[in-house]
Amino acid sequence: MVQKRKIAYINLTTKKLSQKAMPKKIRTMYIGGRGIDMYMLYNHLKPKIDPLSPQNVLLVGAGLLGGIPCLGSGRCDIAAKSPLTGAVGDSNIGGFFAPELRFTGFDHLAITGKAEKPVYLLVKNDEIEIKEASHLWGKDTFETQTIIRKDQDDENIKSLVIGVAGENLVKFANILTGMKNSAGRTGMGCVMGSKNLKAIAARGTTPLEFAHPDRLLEYCRQMNDMITSTRWSKAQSRWGTMIIYSNTNTTGLIRTRNFQLNRLEEGQDLEPENIDRYSIGTSGCYGCAVHCRHRYVLREGPHAPLYGEGPEYTSLGAFGTMIDCRKMETILVANHLVNKYGVDTLETGGLIAWAMELYEKGILNDKMTDGLKLEWGNEEALYEMITNIAHRKGFGNTLADGFKKAIAKIGNGSEYYAIQVKGMSNLHSDERPTPSFALGIATSTRGADHLRSRPAIDMYGLPEDLLEEVYGGPVASEYNSYYGKPRMVWWQERLYAVTDSIGLCKFQTVFCSVHAPQWKEFSKLIQLATGVEISETQLMEIGERIYTIERLFNLREGFSRKDDNLPERYFKEPTPIGLPVAKNKKIDREKFSKMLDEYYKLHGWGNDGIPTAGTLKKLGLDKEPSNLI
Amino acid sequence: MQKMLAVDPEKCTGCRLCETSCSIYNEKTCTPEKARIRVTKWENEGIYIPMVCQQCDIPICESVCPMHAIKRDSNTQALVIDKELCVGCRLCMQFCPFGGIGVDDETKKIIKCDLCNGEPICVKFCQPMALQYVDANTLNTRKRRAAAKRFSDILKKMLATI
Amino acid sequence: MSEVRCLNCLKRFSVRQKAETATCPKCKTKYRISWPTPNQAKIRGLA
Ligand code: SF4
Ligand code: SF4
Ligand SMILES: [Zn+2]
Repeated sequence: MVQKRKIAYINLTTKKLSQKAMPKKIRTMYIGGRGIDMYMLYNHLKPKIDPLSPQNVLLVGAGLLGGIPCLGSGRCDIAAKSPLTGAVGDSNIGGFFAPELRFTGFDHLAITGKAEKPVYLLVKNDEIEIKEASHLWGKDTFETQTIIRKDQDDENIKSLVIGVAGENLVKFANILTGMKNSAGRTGMGCVMGSKNLKAIAARGTTPLEFAHPDRLLEYCRQMNDMITSTRWSKAQSRWGTMIIYSNTNTTGLIRTRNFQLNRLEEGQDLEPENIDRYSIGTSGCYGCAVHCRHRYVLREGPHAPLYGEGPEYTSLGAFGTMIDCRKMETILVANHLVNKYGVDTLETGGLIAWAMELYEKGILNDKMTDGLKLEWGNEEALYEMITNIAHRKGFGNTLADGFKKAIAKIGNGSEYYAIQVKGMSNLHSDERPTPSFALGIATSTRGADHLRSRPAIDMYGLPEDLLEEVYGGPVASEYNSYYGKPRMVWWQERLYAVTDSIGLCKFQTVFCSVHAPQWKEFSKLIQLATGVEISETQLMEIGERIYTIERLFNLREGFSRKDDNLPERYFKEPTPIGLPVAKNKKIDREKFSKMLDEYYKLHGWGNDGIPTAGTLKKLGLDKEPSNLI
Repeated sequence: MQKMLAVDPEKCTGCRLCETSCSIYNEKTCTPEKARIRVTKWENEGIYIPMVCQQCDIPICESVCPMHAIKRDSNTQALVIDKELCVGCRLCMQFCPFGGIGVDDETKKIIKCDLCNGEPICVKFCQPMALQYVDANTLNTRKRRAAAKRFSDILKKMLATI
Repeated sequence: MSEVRCLNCLKRFSVRQKAETATCPKCKTKYRISWPTPNQAKIRGLA
């Protein structure tokens, strides 16, 4: 490859730093970003280590195409063994960090050990320094970034930081950059906190070279046109990811009151259009023509003045429908709080919604919640819970440990109400009417998760010949159907694995629009940027390899077929309301099990969910760990 | 009719596609440091202002240049640097009130926007049309004043609330 | 004129320019409509 890229190893215990050129073999097998992170995760960790011990490795990986002028090329992948689930920990973050990291000459960082005192890493053109960070400890995510810039007298520094939640080892603490971009899921901020690592700051001026710069530039322009001409992107450019709410809440596909209802009946104030009341404009990540978030200002009320970015669709559910808060303003305040403290919006909302249902059922009472009235729609209780979780105060301390531990602690049948898989909360989506989505959250390598495989275009009832053309096999057009859905999930898994590895935004591939760039376009971008030819078929195989090595990691940690499951309520309770297409639907246990069989088979895994020897050989995974980097 | 590169910071989303495309076009690498257009951000307040040479009617850079290395292109009316004449003294950079002039760290020579021979690449990449290449005509000066007023207003508005 | 897809029966149907409501001709579900761009409608919620 024309790009001379490097990986840095940082041991915070011994303060030893070293670097290595990225071997070509690793590039061609795993590409970059998530792919290379997953290879290292499997290779660097001994089985069953404590995720909060110095042995855990925090991996930071820029995508192969990070920095190109299209499709949101600012994505960075962050991985470690998850303290929340014990499975693959992995989270992808937008904003401006990944390109800045690439401008320093490094594409990947592998951080192990634990600093004696709080530190941060300063990565500057080819040099890495471990800097003292006592003065940053206790600071919120925004202040931390500002202080680093001031200390270094450089406004162009981009940092990945943790807030107090990460310091306090909240199991789902996140990593933030800018005002809202977060590596939200699986507790990567908790791992940073466990290493006494407050921030990773990057600043570089090294040119990124390309094999065919002029042609790349022209093709990138075409890519931006391709994505911005889709109907989906046009709406997303206007109102952000919140537009999903228009479809899901109207239909009845949205968890309300934890999991009691599937639509917020009086949810008009949460409609994305209402963000216009607070917006001063939209904002985009590096290299993004879609700009899917708003810059909002609260000018009045007890929380004013307040400036924030977002909110995402995720926060609409986390602090809206799931806890039955019906005001946009509540979402804006809560969204700001989680970003400031550095805690995952989705996990936080999921846990609080669960606690509210337990409170309603009497499984939790005032004594257990320190007098906090966890009633539906109680926004003051919501703000207090968020703050208490981040600071591990009172009952917040119980929730701060995530579902697994909290269930064990509360007991009393509380598990039944927890909408989680492998210990990670589900989004506020209700998958009972959509078997493809349900299969995706059950099988995802990181726990209940819509970003590993969700075939969102399943919602559109596309013609079956088009679906067959995309997915390479027969798929039913109706989203209520089980037919062909494993194939959809399998295809999306590979596509997203590759998207996360080249470092482009998932919203700018086949996620919500079938007309978005995918394999063919990715292959061409790689060729123009790096000069290396990787065919569409080869890209699919790389996706398969990445997904399979993640599977191997989880198997090694003790996960198995039984963990690829759904919360009991999906099988037992039918959806109570919604349009006819979404009403009175639940997942059929037997059909679900058949989907699972079929899904494993497509992957070349046995019925037990274990990749066969033949599959491993075919993917070049039969000799792992191979320890090449 | 004369065209100008008009900047509307209110529409800017801060994506830096302009910087990136500019540097690839001019330098053949992605090096925002060498882009002729830079987006200045106040991230914590959500203010993004793309800064680029205004190709002023009465260019300070031209008048301070001791080597007379800055000249107006008769075709695009862009102020361009004669690399042969430029000695890299950076006087133009110091005097430009818009930060429209940069220095190439490697060659030590001045870099600035030359309007890409009348087809600015950044304009093609700016999806929200914060950058436009439009007829300036005699409105040139007035337009710029209006724009300047608008964003000083935004600044005031923002500063009053935060 | 712009089209939206009915969220119930998934049929695409056309919506009058600037309309604030629309009814699916097939399943008769009534919607409120909003306009992300002057030429593109989307469903906002149930009417
Ligand atoms: S391309 Fe346009 S929107 Fe993006 S940063 Fe530049 S001026 Fe702003
Ligand atoms: S470089 Fe500065 S002074 Fe010179 S024309 Fe451009 S904006 Fe005006
Ligand atoms: Zn209909």
